[in-house]
Amino acid sequence: MNSTLALARAEIRRLGRNKRYSIFSVGLPVVLYLVIAPSVKHVHVYGVSYPAYYMIAMASIGAFSGALTGNAQRISQERKDGWVRQLRLTALPANAYVIAKIIASMVITVPSIAIVLLLGRFYGGVHMELWKWLAVGGTIWIGSLTFTALAVALGYRFMPDTVQPMAMFVYFVMSILGGLWFALTGFLAKIGHVLPTYQITRIGTDLISNQSVPATAYLTILAWFAGFVVLAVLAVRGTAETV
Amino acid sequence: MTQGRMGASGAPVVSFENVRKVYGHVKAVDGLTMDLRPGETVAFLGPNGAGKSTSLDMLLDLRKPTSGTIRMFGSDPYHAIKAGRVGAMLQSGGLMPEVTVRELVALVTGFHPRPLPVDQTLKRAGIASFAGQRVDKLSGGQTQRVRFALAIVGECDLIVLDEPTAAMDVETRQAFWANMKAEVAEGRTLLFATHYLEEADQAADRIVVINKGRLLADGTPSQIKARAGAKRISFRLDRIDEPFLLGLPALVNVEIRHDLVQIQSSDSDRTLYALLDAGYRPREIELSSLGLEQAFIAITTEDDNSTEDADSTVHDSTVHDSTVQDSAAQRADGYARNGR
Repeated sequence: MNSTLALARAEIRRLGRNKRYSIFSVGLPVVLYLVIAPSVKHVHVYGVSYPAYYMIAMASIGAFSGALTGNAQRISQERKDGWVRQLRLTALPANAYVIAKIIASMVITVPSIAIVLLLGRFYGGVHMELWKWLAVGGTIWIGSLTFTALAVALGYRFMPDTVQPMAMFVYFVMSILGGLWFALTGFLAKIGHVLPTYQITRIGTDLISNQSVPATAYLTILAWFAGFVVLAVLAVRGTAETV
Repeated sequence: MTQGRMGASGAPVVSFENVRKVYGHVKAVDGLTMDLRPGETVAFLGPNGAGKSTSLDMLLDLRKPTSGTIRMFGSDPYHAIKAGRVGAMLQSGGLMPEVTVRELVALVTGFHPRPLPVDQTLKRAGIASFAGQRVDKLSGGQTQRVRFALAIVGECDLIVLDEPTAAMDVETRQAFWANMKAEVAEGRTLLFATHYLEEADQAADRIVVINKGRLLADGTPSQIKARAGAKRISFRLDRIDEPFLLGLPALVNVEIRHDLVQIQSSDSDRTLYALLDAGYRPREIELSSLGLEQAFIAITTEDDNSTEDADSTVHDSTVHDSTVQDSAAQRADGYARNGR
């Protein structure tokens, strides 16, 4: 386990140095929040103020883009380059590579979520009890695991050239129809209901507005998570021969 | 085929037992059987596509054999690898980008159950001078040496290298083998794949020749060279007596075009003396060492004719293998154009 953690630490160090990663998963949501939140202070959506909704949405955007597009591309590229093969020749346990990726992804999403939540509190004027802050952040954090699982599935299944557009496509469909760029109404909201992105946002807004969260929200997220985990396991197993 | 080993004793470090690997209808490895003894330096020699990399991949548990058994230190290769007993460098092995050379070596050192000091590894692999550089900014030869460093980060009993000097210039290559000799001087077993006969000759004390997934020859470098017909003799002769030429001693192969005769011989002195003793006075005599490709033609030809005797006579026209014949024909064309 120690060497798996060492690999995870190295992964985190790499991500920290990667400018593209920082721009998309931290820079972009922060800038959007700074620009948009003040102009919609008095609008209400999903039962909360727009700055509160937008805080959750932007924190999700940053966390999910890092978990999905970043990881999928890297895993695919590192498989192609032979780094994954190289690791198999070491005394590292067989699944250490994937586990280290997941750990690194979980660690690196913390600041991108935390920064936007802090912005929401001190710039967007969102107020709630401490436990709710933790619950909102935690929901997004745990929810990002869904996309890490999908990233593993895509990264193990496809070559880098294919993975990048695929991950971007899934990311945009999920984030737009999930209501992360703007709140959904009418027909789009109906579609959004089946997506984990929408449900993660709604758990957050329901917490803020003191509403009880319907069980279907959790079940929807769990179903997607389980589905992606199955795909990921199949992809990792399926490529065991060629690495 | 030569089988059974003399020399080194002890339980085998590695054993292949009738190992086959089939992709669809392509037999990448076709019934490979061989043992590696402790302390041996063995060259795995063959042209591109001979099945060297597939064999090493199977040895390192990256691919599963279709049938047959591979054992390492008497157990499953996987366990030997996870116990850190093997240091390996693959052609297809990649490096983690975005970190420095030192960080990468330190990271992989940390995975090893019996690690060696990082500074020492950097020095032994000859990469200390660029340890602060980022891995993704290195040249091909530098990358290759970093891969080598990753193979020697810990104390191991077996080193496996797949075409270790592929991206290296001559100087780097020599430095590499100097380092390597120091590594194996401590009693380690070394198996390396190469398609350079010269490299196998200089570095190995045993050469295993494979082609099309089959073991063709197994012996010391001098034995292999003798079997391959180590020298080419070419000359012009006015009145050619083909049966006589075919009967020359130590002869492996003869090609005759008009008055030009090319002979592959495992003992050029004997062949030439016999020719002269018979009263022939050939003109424009040229003697040259055979490259690996020609050596392969000789060994493959021999193999296809199921001859066990290295001195046996094989005529060019009996070559079965079409690709071998093609390349022989191409070379003959080349000679014709060069006017030799």
